[in-house]
This record gives sequence, C-alpha cells and structure tokens, in this order.
Amino acid sequence: MVFEKSFTFLTSEYNQYTLITEKIESVVAESGVTNGMVTVLSRHTTTGITTNEALECLESDIDEFLCRLVPEDHPYAHARMLADYGSTAGNPTGHLKALLTGNHAHFLVRDGRIEKGGAQEVYFCEFDGPSERTFLVQVMGE
Amino acid sequence: MFIDIHVHPAFYEPINSDPVREEMRHEALDIHLNGTAKLAHIENQMRLAGLDKMCLLGQDYLVKEGVTPVSNEEVQSLVDLRPDRFIGFASVDPHDPAAAEKLECAFAELGLVGLNLHPGRQRFYPTDDCVQPLYDICERHDRPVMFHAGMSWEPHALAKFGRPVEFEELAEARPNLRFCLGHFAWPWLEEAAMLMVKHRNVYADTAALYFDCAREFYDRLFTQELPLTWIDRSLRHQVMFGSDNPRFEQIRMARALEGLGLRESTLELVKGENALEFLYGRD
Repeated sequence: MVFEKSFTFLTSEYNQYTLITEKIESVVAESGVTNGMVTVLSRHTTTGITTNEALECLESDIDEFLCRLVPEDHPYAHARMLADYGSTAGNPTGHLKALLTGNHAHFLVRDGRIEKGGAQEVYFCEFDGPSERTFLVQVMGE
Repeated sequence: MFIDIHVHPAFYEPINSDPVREEMRHEALDIHLNGTAKLAHIENQMRLAGLDKMCLLGQDYLVKEGVTPVSNEEVQSLVDLRPDRFIGFASVDPHDPAAAEKLECAFAELGLVGLNLHPGRQRFYPTDDCVQPLYDICERHDRPVMFHAGMSWEPHALAKFGRPVEFEELAEARPNLRFCLGHFAWPWLEEAAMLMVKHRNVYADTAALYFDCAREFYDRLFTQELPLTWIDRSLRHQVMFGSDNPRFEQIRMARALEGLGLRESTLELVKGENALEFLYGRD
C-alpha cells in the first residue's frame, strides 16, 4: 500500500533548520505500514531535507559550513530578471545550499517504526526564507 | 523608523479569496509563480528586512484595460488589518470621469494618505489636463503623489510617459505638491537628480532591481550612475527606500542600501525620515 501526507508551514528566518522527525513518525504510525519504506521530500528548490544529530552546536556548525561554502557575496549568474516570474532572481545561495543537502530523506520501516540510529533526526532546511513551504511524506509497504 | 515607501500588496492573502481576481492580477502585473502571502509571512519579511512600516499602493487601470488590480477599498481593508504597519495609497485612473470623486472618497472616507499613478500604464503625461483635478485634490488635502517613473516591467507600459523631464513643468507649476519619481525613474537617474536638486518637492525612491543582484545594482545606481556623494550631500532629504515588492527583493535591497556607505545620518533619512516628510509634510 501507499500512504501519503503533506505538511505546509511558514518559515520565519532566512536560513532555518526545523526538526520534522516526529511528523514523519506520526505519518508512519497513521499509515499502518509495518514493513516497507518512507520517503520525505521537499517540494522546493531552495530548501533541503537532511539527517543529522539534533544538537544546537551542530546546527550552528552546519549553517556556518554551508555559508562558508556558499557565500552571499559572490558574483553568481542567477541574479537577473526572470521573465517567467516577472521578478529578479536573487536566491542563488538557496539553490546551491539545497544542492548540497539534497531534497529528500529515505528510511526503512520495520515493525511499524522508522529504522534509524539513535542520533538520527530529520531536518527541513530553509535556505531562502521566510517563505511558505511544503514537504511530502510517503510510506510504502505492507 | 524604517519605511518601505513602495510596496504592491496585490498578492496578499486577505484580498485574494477570489481565484479569478488573483489570476487577473498575475496577468495584469506580469508576476507569476509567487502564490499568495499570509500576513504572518509579510511580517516575517518585514522583521528580517528591519522594516517598521510599508506603504501599500493601489493600482487602477480601469479605462484603458478594464481592470483594477488593487482597489482603494482593498488597500483600506489591509491597512485596517495592520494599522500600525501599513500605510495606504489610493489609485485612480486619470482618464476615468469619476476619478476625482473616487479620490476624494479615498482620502476623506477611506483614510488613504496618498495617490499612486502610473503614467506609462495609464497613458498620460504628468502635465495633461486629465490629471490636473487630481493634483488639486492632493494639494487641498496635503497628500503626496507616487508616480511610477522610468521603465516599468508591467505589460503595456511605455517608459516615455514617465521620463523625469516630463515632470519638470509639474514641479515648477505646483511647488506645494510633493511627488515621488518611483524606481528613481530608472534608467534616467541623472535626469531625476536634475529635477530633485532644483525642486525640493520632488522625491525619488530606490525601488529598482532590473539587473544583477541587489548589492551589485545598488552599487551601479548609487555609486556609478550617480556618485554616492550626490545623495549623501545634496539629495539626502529627497531619497526614500522603496522595494517594489513583490517584483523585487525587499530584504536584500534593504541590506544593499545599508551597505552603500552613506553617512549614518543620511541613511536614517533615506530609511524613514524622508518618507515621513513625504507622507505628512514638513513640520
């Protein structure tokens, strides 16, 4: 069977790391799937989904690391009027940070629970906030 | 006090309950794929940009195109939702026979504080007869006029109607009418500066981002096309921060303004004090 749910919410900061592990666990529980897999997928190109240990110090290090790799002050090409939008592209850093984190996470489901290590948590990463964002959780199995 | 003098609320969620009207706005303004914005999101944007208040502009293209993308009543309804954050500007079409009556109503009954006009889209020159009664009303109520000047990305808008030199006679004939050349009349910044340095009732806003990123384009406009010293010394009381949001990026434009290298006292004028004077007159 396939069970799916989406979550839409407002982010409030330019770069922001939001824990979504409990939401994924609730979807798995609601699905009734005991053995299978779950995928968490962002619908956006300037956000990411990533897995890491949920520590304040690590969130700071991850943010600082991404900002060092993708500095704001750089002559990016993605800085021009976009006719399809009728507005100026100004979020190249968001796109590039999203490239680094990826847009999804994937876990096995065993005995009705997500198979993950004790330190593993799932983050929704905002890289061009504030904005309204949506991520999808799909559970497949039996 | 930090004020964005140039904001278009066309896609604010409270005035977009009708999907047909929302689609009309996407087409009329040529802004797409942006969705609608909840007020909580708008306030997050303001907080990150450091903004205290925003001027929301009505848009009325009734006669030529049969649409009013943002009506005066819609502007008023938004101001009523956040009276501490939003300042409302009316819009009327100068070719509309009822324009004067609508403007009187917008000032006297709706409580809107200024008039927004788009010569290039509404197809009039600033000295045309059709718009004179509107200036009379603005002068009588001591209300400012925001003009879209220079190039406009909106469809069917011609830049020739908004070239700064077209406003010279208006500045000369009506020294008590405060008006703003929106978008600093890009690409005619030097021509705008010519008017401003002579006529104290002429203002300009910084709502332009047609090339590059905000920092690069502001550097181009305000350190190369105009030397920064022109703003810092001579025009410091007539330049206001504007973003043209949602067309352009409010947060990054605010940061670009702050990074230009203006004197701190000039920055305070551009960020808010000049807007207060433009809106409400000098003490």
